[in-house]
Amino acid sequence: MKIKLELYGASREFSDKGHLEFNLKVQSSISDLRNEILVFIDKNFKGNVNFKKLVESSKFCSEENNIVNDSYKITRDQKIGIIPPIGGG
Amino acid sequence: MLHTKVIDVSKEKIDLAKAQKFITSSKCGASIYFVGTVRDQNDNKKVTGITYDSHDALVIKSFEEIYKEAETKFKFKNIAVFIEHIKGYVALGDTSIIIAVACKHRAQAYEFSRYIIEEIKKRTPIWKKEHYEDGDSKWLKGNPLIDQNQLK
Repeated sequence: MKIKLELYGASREFSDKGHLEFNLKVQSSISDLRNEILVFIDKNFKGNVNFKKLVESSKFCSEENNIVNDSYKITRDQKIGIIPPIGGG
Repeated sequence: MLHTKVIDVSKEKIDLAKAQKFITSSKCGASIYFVGTVRDQNDNKKVTGITYDSHDALVIKSFEEIYKEAETKFKFKNIAVFIEHIKGYVALGDTSIIIAVACKHRAQAYEFSRYIIEEIKKRTPIWKKEHYEDGDSKWLKGNPLIDQNQLK
């Protein structure tokens, strides 16, 4: 299952393409996705502590534009947005 | 009556005249315009501009939710509200947000406008990257988003 993770705010520092792609098992949860992003940070940014804190404090948004919690199951290929702590305009 | 939009500044300009045109009504005796602009200092650093990032769909959803909540809370009749926020780079002094509110009386307009901007600050998914005089830039820390459905 392919997940296109759309990056916003400080998470844009993770890639200059504006998104990351992950292959996850069907029925993976947001918690699993969060762990995959942390693995990505370990591999590509030497475990950058600030980036990991950012991932840990972020929410996620489904393709239907709903904020979803860590137990939310992803059942198909889709876009997920990472929502870091907000500045609020 | 509500108008909301995220303005991509690389394609169009945010325009106070548009807000005035939208909220003007003979039913309203008071209009309030809140205009947010980029200021020159933050944390003792000289700011030259800000890049705003936005999850457009969630931003619009949040504007609509805030408006509906304010309607329920205040129960004012014949209100017109115009909310636009920019995304992209804006320089010092440039406008980042316009909230225009027209109501029957001035006290209502002040209350409604204040409620909207305070709620946007708390929960609208917009991010700011400040650019400084020394060439450095930094995403501001912000606060974790609160899912409003979990608060209900």
